[in-house]
Parts: sequence; C-alpha cells; structure tokens
Amino acid sequence: MRPPASSPAPAPSSPPTPVFPELPWYRRLDALSVSLLLFGLAIFFSLPTLRGSGRDLDYWENARRFLARFFPPDFSVTPQVLTALAETAQIAVLATAAALVLSFPLGLAGARTLSPRWLVTLARLALNVTRTVPSLLWALIAVAIVGANPLAGVIGLTAYSVGYLGKFFSDAFESVDLDVARGLRAIGASRIQAFQHGVWPHARPLIWSYALWMLEYNLRSAAIIGYVGAGGLGVLLHGYQEYHAWDRFCAVLVFILALVTALDLLGEWVRRKVTKRAARAPA
Amino acid sequence: MSRRGPQSSSAAKPRAAEAAPATTRGEPLPGNAHILVSGLGVRRADRWLFRDLNLAVPRGAFVAIVGPSGAGKSTLLACLAGALAPGEGTVQIRERSGQLVGPEHCRPRIGCVFQRLLLVENSSVLANVLCGRLGRHRWWQTLFGAPRAEREAAFAIAADLGLAPHTHRWVAELSGGEQQRTAIARALFQEPDLYLADEPISNLDTYLTGRVLGRLRQEASQQSRTVFCVLHDPTLVDRFADLVVSIDPTDPHGWRVRPVRR
Repeated sequence: MRPPASSPAPAPSSPPTPVFPELPWYRRLDALSVSLLLFGLAIFFSLPTLRGSGRDLDYWENARRFLARFFPPDFSVTPQVLTALAETAQIAVLATAAALVLSFPLGLAGARTLSPRWLVTLARLALNVTRTVPSLLWALIAVAIVGANPLAGVIGLTAYSVGYLGKFFSDAFESVDLDVARGLRAIGASRIQAFQHGVWPHARPLIWSYALWMLEYNLRSAAIIGYVGAGGLGVLLHGYQEYHAWDRFCAVLVFILALVTALDLLGEWVRRKVTKRAARAPA
Repeated sequence: MSRRGPQSSSAAKPRAAEAAPATTRGEPLPGNAHILVSGLGVRRADRWLFRDLNLAVPRGAFVAIVGPSGAGKSTLLACLAGALAPGEGTVQIRERSGQLVGPEHCRPRIGCVFQRLLLVENSSVLANVLCGRLGRHRWWQTLFGAPRAEREAAFAIAADLGLAPHTHRWVAELSGGEQQRTAIARALFQEPDLYLADEPISNLDTYLTGRVLGRLRQEASQQSRTVFCVLHDPTLVDRFADLVVSIDPTDPHGWRVRPVRR
C-alpha cells in the first residue's frame, strides 16, 4: 500500500487519489426511507378492512341511481340558499376572528423558541385536546349550552379553530430566525420591541396565510354544523336530506363550491403578495 | 504555553497608552479611556482565541481589528457588545457621566453592524433603519410606528448612503451591498457612543467603501464616537484607523495593539 520506507517522500505533486466513499446499506436508511417503508407495511395490513358488507350489491348501479337524483340541481331555492349562505359566512368570519385573537397568546406559549418548556408542554397539550374534538362535536356542545342558533356555530367553530391556529402560530413563530431579534436586543431594544420589530414581521405573512386558510376551512365547516342546529347552510342541507330533495341539496353544494373556490383563489393571491422573497425581486 | 509571562502581559496597557498621541483626541490614558478591556480571554472549543487582552481606547478613536479568518475578530466584537460573556477578564465602557459600566448596561449606546447584518428582511429599509433607535423609547411608544421627525431623520441617513430609491422596498428584495448599507444606516441612525462594525464594507465597491468608512471616521473625529471596525485591507486601515488591534490565530497571547502613523 504505502511506498517503501527507503524511497524518499514523493514530491507534493501527486496526492493520493481519493476512493469513492460507498455508503453501506444501513447508512442509507434515513427517516424518510424508513417511514416510507413503514407506511408501505401499514397499507398491506390495512387492506383487510375493505371487505364490504358481504351482501351482493351492485355498487355501480347504486352509485349511478343515487347520484342521478342530484342532477340537475334545483336552483329554485336560490333565495333561501343565499340567505343561509350569508349566515354561514358570518359564522365563519366571526369564528375565525375570535380564534385569531385566542390563538395569538396560545401560539406564543406553544413556541419552543420563545417560551419555557413547561409552558410549551402545557399549551401544546391544550391545543392537541382542542383539535381532537371534531368541529361537529364542538358545535353540539355549544348547542347544548346556548341553544340551537348561529351563536352556537360561532362558539363551536372558534373552539375548533383555536386548536389548529394555535398550533400553526407556534410553528410560524418557531420558524423565525431569532438572531435578528437578538441583534435588535444587542442594540438596545426591549424584549417586546425585539418581538414586534424582529420576529413579528417574519411570522406575520405565515400567520395571515394560515388565517385565510382557516377562514376557508370554517366556511366549509359552517356549512355542515347546521346539521346539529348551529345555524347556516347545514340547516337547509339537513332539511333537504330529510325530504330526499337531493337536487336542492346539490344546488346548495354548488354554492358552497363557488364560495370556497373564490376564497381559495383570493387566499392564494394574498399569500403570494404577502410572502415576497428575494428570489422574485424585480431587477 | 504563553510566550510572555503574566508580568509582561500587564505591559500591554502601556503599549495601548502609547497609542494615545496617535488618536484624534490625545486624552491621557487609561484614566478616562472610553473603552477599557482588561485581561480578556475567550475559549472556543478546546483553544483560546486570545488571552490577557488589554486595551484602553480613548473616546473618538477609530480602531481597526485585523487578523486572518477564524482568529476571533467577531468574537472580540461580541465581547465588546456584551453579547458574549468572555471566559476571563472584563470589558468596561465609560458613560458620558464618567461612570464605568459593562456593555450589557449601555446597549442603546452601542451600535452594531453585524457580519450577518441581521436585518428584518420582511420589513422596509426605512423600518429597519428606524429600528436603530428602539432602545431610546419604551415599547408602547414604538408600538404604532415612529414620529414623522424620526422617519425623516432615518430617511436622510439612508439617502446619504444612496438608499433613497429603496426607502419603502423590503430588505429581502435588495442586493447584498444595499442590505449592508441598510445595516450601516441603522447603526448611524442610532447615534451610539460606540460603533462595532464587523466587516461593514465586504459587499461594497470602492466608492461606497470610502463613503462608509469616511462617514464612520467623521463620526469618530467630529462626534467623539468610538469606532471598532473589522477590516482586511491594509491600505484602508492606514487611511482610516487610529489604532490597530491584530489577533494572531496561532497564539492567544500574540495579539498586538499599534497606533497608525499618519
């Protein structure tokens, strides 16, 4: 391997050729490949759940007959739908606004980079618990407390949204490079000033885009919580379902689709605008 | 491990004092020095970057810090800023009242141009420059923006560094040199007693280099504000600095302080 000891050391002109460092198979196992493998195994072991009811049903014919009742949509109910749609939007807006206010302190408390560990644990636990309860169940609880009216919808959706937004806000705060805020501290800014001027400008676009997403989500949720009496389009949907008026049911869905799509496009546009990056800077 | 014994390292203070006549003020030292560094040492991993560093800098001096990459220049600045607790020794800063305090007690009067700039990228140039004076106000006074007079003063400084067309643009959209000038404008707007500038000209062309260093030189000579500046170019050191602190990466005791003769 080595040159004989007797030979003089070679001139520094010929460094040894580096050997390509081949990775052994176990070094190539990273979190991604291992979790992908586990997911594949999970798919295999989940297949038995697709066994059906065991009855001899013509799935395609069933689907065709049921879906055929949805068309054509009956738009004669447009005035009622628009009224309910407005109420749904109002519920969604108020719930999102209330959730924004409540999520801000919770998001701060849940950010590992900003809060002490005990507070983070506590806040994240609270947020997880809130998220675990489905929005329909929150609405049901609210109906039990304040009765069957839109206020119950606002309360129910607020509780549910806080679970999501609080977590998103924590993640947004954690994603901010704190060195900028430390730099401001070094030139004399107080903690609150360093947060307002050093952390907030970076978290703000993220938080606002999450808020828009939540508004869109709440609009869809607000359409369904009427099923338990918490106001909005759900009340109509529930009624049409009871009377098998699927063509009217379909008309309601078309309106929800239009609203959600519009909001999605708007949100996308705003998100693009608020998260400017150096890469897209004009020359 | 040390070339010089502890008794000879204490001779470093007279060495710095010798530099006094070379400074603009020529005040006797270290009796009323602005910056007093005594016995400063910083450990990084398993080695000392520098030890027993003694320095007495008069108010209004322009101090260049030189040394190869990794020697500890930025670390020395961090100690002077009070952002890093040294392994040994102390840094003291004399307030205008004459009282000596640690740097952590006079942060609003220390202006930093960081090597990584540490600008708020999602804010405008103006907002970043305005951040320089946050330390002067309570948080509720800066909650809803700065008064018009301050905004105009910040604009004047930014404009002086050629940033006028970019006043309301986001820092993330600027070039490296423009960002660097924003960081310098933030420090100038702060009007601190002490400037700590870590390679403030690394992204600037010759014209802007002269302009920025000339401005800092002016701050030192005319406003009696002390400047510490990490510089690499020896001709710039000779042109602008009063004192040179050089750090030797191979020997923690190998630091030197010498006056620049002009």
